[in-house]
Amino acid sequence: MRHRPQLPLPPEPDCHQVGAVLQSYLDGELGAEDTGVVAAHLEHCERCGIEAATVTRVIDAIRRQRPDLAPDPLVRLTGFVEQLGAGGPDPSGS
Amino acid sequence: MTTTTVRARTGTETDSVAHVADDRTDARFREQVLPELEVLYRVARRLTGSNSDAEDLVQDTLLKAYRAFDRFDGRYLRAWLLTIMRNHHRNQLRKRRPDLLDDEVAQRLPGHGQDARRDGVDERAFHDDLDPVVREALRSLSPKHRSVIALVDLDGLTYREAAELLGVPVGTVMSRLHRARSKVRSRLEAHLDVEDTS
Repeated sequence: MRHRPQLPLPPEPDCHQVGAVLQSYLDGELGAEDTGVVAAHLEHCERCGIEAATVTRVIDAIRRQRPDLAPDPLVRLTGFVEQLGAGGPDPSGS
Repeated sequence: MTTTTVRARTGTETDSVAHVADDRTDARFREQVLPELEVLYRVARRLTGSNSDAEDLVQDTLLKAYRAFDRFDGRYLRAWLLTIMRNHHRNQLRKRRPDLLDDEVAQRLPGHGQDARRDGVDERAFHDDLDPVVREALRSLSPKHRSVIALVDLDGLTYREAAELLGVPVGTVMSRLHRARSKVRSRLEAHLDVEDTS
């Protein structure tokens, strides 16, 4: 797939045009209109549909490697923001 | 109108700021920034390679954002916060190592050998046989490809946000992401081919 500055897709793009924006489509980076056009193409094009499903599985496999976050830092940071935004006391609690 | 004095973190690292803002601005800050904390912390861990340094970096970023919130134009909050974080982190590196040239500072950005897991971050339990193959494939990527896949797929940044953080065009993020995923895909397909023939 070759990446290029994204132009609006024609109403009935060919497989090459869809392939060029497939990654952006799967990442939710396309505008609403182009998203609808690609989705319609994938509905009736078996070859592009298989490619989209394959890439989706690869992306899902990668995203499963996302490390869990321990909750404590996020709790502390939430408290820090609430103190800042509330004009409250020293966020360190001292 | 309320007058607020905020002192950050530890006694040895006291940072005072006198900030005058109305309650609506404070509420807006809270409402808009709180949903971004997880992404900020994930990216900070990637930048610093340490949980504790990451928390400090996010606090510094939040404090700077709070001070500057009156001047924020209201668009692309996450990108704005990430820019503050990136610049602050870069300045910290320069202070610690003033001999570093810009290129060397850039080498310390995401994917250039920093590994947040070294600080004991809990990893999710893996239930899929393919996960070790994926992890190995990710480790085998070049730093520039690994950094993009980490920021977009693991940290949840948009193309634009990743490009801003890395200081490269959006098109570069897209092409690196495509190349990186293709390499992971090839590894997975090779693994599955071997399984099929064994």
